[in-house]
Amino acid sequence: MLDQVFFVGLLASAFRFAAPLMFAALGETVAQRAGVLNVGLEGIMLVGAFLAVLGAWWTGSPWGGLLLAMLGGAAMAGLHAFLSITLRADQIISGIAMIVLGLGISGYGFRLTLGAMSPAPTIPAFAPLKLWGLAKLPIVGPILFGQHLLVYLALIIAVALHVFLYRTRWGLDLRAVGEMPAAADAAGISVQAARYSSVIFGGAMAAMGGAYLSTAQLSGFVENMVSGRGFIAIACVVFGRWSPIGAVAAALFFGAAEAAQVRLQTLNPDIPYQFFVMMPYLLAVIFLIFLARRSRMPAALGVPFMPPR
Amino acid sequence: MNALVNLLGRSVYAGPALAGFGALFFIGLVITVAGFDPIAALSALLSQSLGSVNGISEVLVRTIPLTLTGLGITVAFRARMFNVGGDGQIIFGAIAFVGCGLLFPTLTGWLLLPLAVIAGILGGAVWGGIAGILRARYNASEIIVTIMLTYVAFQGLAWAIRGPLQESSGIFPRSEAIPEAIKLGLLLDGSRLHWGLFIALGATVAVTLALRYTSFGYRLDAIGESPLAARYGGIGDRATVILSLAVSGGLAGLAGAVEIAGVHGRLHDAFAEGTGITAIAVALLARLNPIFVPLSAAMFAVLSVGVGGLQRQLGIPFPLVHIIEGIVILAFLVATRLQRDAVEG
Amino acid sequence: MAPASVTAPKPASRPVLELNGITKRFGALAANDDITLALGRGEVLGLLGENGAGKSTLMNILAGLILPDAGEILIEGRLARIAAPRDAVSLGIGMVHQHFMIVPTLSVAENIALGNRTLRPLPLDLSGVRAKIRQITDDLGLPLDPDAATARLTVGEQQRVEIVKALSRDARILILDEPTAVLTRDEASGLFDAVKALAQTGVSVILISHKLEDIFAVCDRVAVLRRGRKVHETSTKDTDADGLVLAMVGESITAPAARRNSPPGKLLLELDGVALRRGDGSTAVDGVSFDLHAGEILAVAGIEGNGQRELAEAIAGLQPPEAGRIVYDGKVHTRGTRTMELRRRGLRLVPEDRHAAGMLVDKSLRENQLLSHLHARRYNRAGWLKRRSAARDAQTVIADFDVRATSSNAVMRSLSGGNQQKMVLGRELADGLRLLIAAHPTRGLDVRTIAFIQRQLLDLRDRGIAILLISSDLGEIWQFADRILVFGGGRAHGPIGVTETTPSEIGAWMAGHA
Repeated sequence: MLDQVFFVGLLASAFRFAAPLMFAALGETVAQRAGVLNVGLEGIMLVGAFLAVLGAWWTGSPWGGLLLAMLGGAAMAGLHAFLSITLRADQIISGIAMIVLGLGISGYGFRLTLGAMSPAPTIPAFAPLKLWGLAKLPIVGPILFGQHLLVYLALIIAVALHVFLYRTRWGLDLRAVGEMPAAADAAGISVQAARYSSVIFGGAMAAMGGAYLSTAQLSGFVENMVSGRGFIAIACVVFGRWSPIGAVAAALFFGAAEAAQVRLQTLNPDIPYQFFVMMPYLLAVIFLIFLARRSRMPAALGVPFMPPR
Repeated sequence: MNALVNLLGRSVYAGPALAGFGALFFIGLVITVAGFDPIAALSALLSQSLGSVNGISEVLVRTIPLTLTGLGITVAFRARMFNVGGDGQIIFGAIAFVGCGLLFPTLTGWLLLPLAVIAGILGGAVWGGIAGILRARYNASEIIVTIMLTYVAFQGLAWAIRGPLQESSGIFPRSEAIPEAIKLGLLLDGSRLHWGLFIALGATVAVTLALRYTSFGYRLDAIGESPLAARYGGIGDRATVILSLAVSGGLAGLAGAVEIAGVHGRLHDAFAEGTGITAIAVALLARLNPIFVPLSAAMFAVLSVGVGGLQRQLGIPFPLVHIIEGIVILAFLVATRLQRDAVEG
Repeated sequence: MAPASVTAPKPASRPVLELNGITKRFGALAANDDITLALGRGEVLGLLGENGAGKSTLMNILAGLILPDAGEILIEGRLARIAAPRDAVSLGIGMVHQHFMIVPTLSVAENIALGNRTLRPLPLDLSGVRAKIRQITDDLGLPLDPDAATARLTVGEQQRVEIVKALSRDARILILDEPTAVLTRDEASGLFDAVKALAQTGVSVILISHKLEDIFAVCDRVAVLRRGRKVHETSTKDTDADGLVLAMVGESITAPAARRNSPPGKLLLELDGVALRRGDGSTAVDGVSFDLHAGEILAVAGIEGNGQRELAEAIAGLQPPEAGRIVYDGKVHTRGTRTMELRRRGLRLVPEDRHAAGMLVDKSLRENQLLSHLHARRYNRAGWLKRRSAARDAQTVIADFDVRATSSNAVMRSLSGGNQQKMVLGRELADGLRLLIAAHPTRGLDVRTIAFIQRQLLDLRDRGIAILLISSDLGEIWQFADRILVFGGGRAHGPIGVTETTPSEIGAWMAGHA
């Protein structure tokens, strides 16, 4: 029954599913705009998901978990930044190391702590907001006013990043660093500082995405729960043409696809559900095909910069 | 930093040595911080993996798919193509192998086994080749495409073994057993070690020779080092990119076929868990030199088998294996970087 | 022998800039060796020398991009520490690089505002920057639109952006690094007028160039660098071209053998109405038609960026032309024409960017020998490589071309630019060569190697090879070409025989005047 209830539920879910992608894609957009490629988002998101659960349990509040997650993400990204920027090592291989490390650290840490407890502890989680009863409004209610606080936070960050990139001096300097670091360096900008801060910001954001998964969308950590979202987030950056608003739009698209996929399963019980589960992944591939030519990536992306001195 | 580089500049081996010790240090740190004794862990790991005939044979069993997939990753890496989706190619190759075997059960083994193995290789090659085509024509990142295709392959496998390929009794999610004719016999009774070991070693020799002495190998290196110079030299970069990922996928597909033929005998969920990712660490540790891949694969096999013992005896969680893989990759990065600085400076 | 330059005439007033004993080493090479210079207020000093003499290194030190190993810099008599570009800018030093430091995705105003700490960070307000741009460009007579997208500017306009950028930071010492390399003659004289106007206002200018006409056009004094040392310094009024050349080169160059005028042979290449497009879609040149015969050198003259690279790529089968026909040795180029096939048939290319497109820098010389010759049966039998043949041939090139390399196992990166180019050329000369496209083959090389390569090209011509020589060096073209084709203003002029035209006519065509 593709009626109003269906679509309203779909769109509301779209935001919910899109949130982890939004965080990760926004962070990666900034990092890539500065010229550094971080393919290790999957690993950082996993670490964020785990640390959020751990921190929430420790402090009794999901905000404690969020903070711990962000610190962990920043730390991992800091390592990637050190390898990519100071050591000027291959950014892709460093990112792959982050994926593997994140998988290991999250699994290892989980099994040593919460996973070893029985019965499994309850984790304080974020609850969806019900903004002044507006959530009860028909149609727009659940979609716009019934989301988790973190979803609104992601949207606010998106707007803030848009302003930052295009309407501030720091944003201008950052864009120059990603396009032609030699010019930025000759103009007196510290390419290193810009890149380090962008990458670390990106890591903290990716970890926030993971934290959302384990303390808002679901309540608890399951090993490997990120399931490829870290890579889809990178596709969102490309699809969004390296702009914050574009990244959010792309993430929403995927969120809608994931929400649709779940619903389509129940609507079409004769088609094996596995084909629906495949949909978001195939969609990511299709994204890359159709949007690769037209977009312009930051010219210095992935290329280490060495000041001539 | 400069003083350190000058020190390392004295010897080309200093960089890898430093990175190696650093890796061991951090691994020990991770174990200690969790409250375990690293020496006990090391001895448990070694005793589990190398302390018995059974252990060693298990290590060799694990080495086979790691070698084949690692060779595949190496081939792609030479052209600077990052094949992160080895697992998907393994699955697709295994499905093609089993499908072929179940389709022609009456053919004699001499015909069916090579046929099914070729099907397996082609299955993996197609799965890798798709990423190659998308990269060559649309500049789509092969990292993302291969990983996405891996998730698709997982779902495809899950469906196949519950659907068209499911065994006739219909109880478990697994395929019918493959005909005896295409199973790889055991090398050592009482173990799981099978003839696939020779396939892996043979592939190692073949890939080593191919990379050094064929024009295909040269094209890979040229594209990997300077796509522009390769283009100007008349080397079709599109064709080479596609071929590199197809060959890479084909080797992974072969790994999948060999795993089914030698170990599992049928398809089921999660039969090659994580091989594709570990193979990346294998290739990097082997410094992208195919002749060292079996040795590197054996080391990771020791790790993989040994960690099971760590979990059982000491309670150290299995995901430690991934932490170690990550540290190994980082050590490789640091070592090559320091080496390059030492040579240039 | 170069005249000694013991007591150079000191600038009239107190020097605004003094460089004392500046030394910079890169490994064993002394790029700058104990250089001492002084610059007065409102003075235009020329820094003359060949490629590799150390001019850019010295100025990069002054601009804060490189740190010197020894020596001191005095600004207005005070010791200056220039550890980063920011320091140089705050001391009033502005540099216009040879390779522009312009971010193509940003506008003119945004580029000029880059790194400007006095701007309020939030929100970004460029109106002040725009006003300053207009003021400077009006004063100097170099028009520039502050909101233009820099990617769409001509090279001459981009250079203006660099100059305005330096001046907008209140530069009192302006350094221009090879500014006329990318300008038409009209643009160059416009630049010189602007420089003179600047000097009048008290700004001191250092002009780096390897071209004598630049030095004499605008400089008050000139210092000559050779192999990292200052070998001569004089006022431009007190010297002449020959004196400066002798100082620059330090020895006489053997002029290449005189050309034999034999009739051209078989028709090898024919272009008919070819139009070439750049990467961004704009038309580079339209209506190119010419033919090339065995045993002749056809030069393609023009300022960089007028379609020469696209021409080389189109003929070599790397990029199909927008329109028109290309026929090599009787066969028309089609969409399916492959570069390797053309190479097999004797059409080879020495690319303009030898580092990025002509070699594999981290591979050995013998491995590089294989690079463009995978089609050759002596190296490649049904996919199997004959590495020993390649090694032998590489050794032959090393011997015949006097390449300074330890062995054929040496890595390309370890060779000097000149030796690298010799290896690239030697490789392309392998048997079967019938038509060679040589794109800027002598650019950036030392004098001896330039002479060697020019001799090789003449030798090839005499042996019946057809050569398409792409060059922006009119002197080189005049000496070696039989006929000249000029790319300029989006059109192709000629080809015309060298004896039937004059340099000024060629110069006019290059500038785009019909």
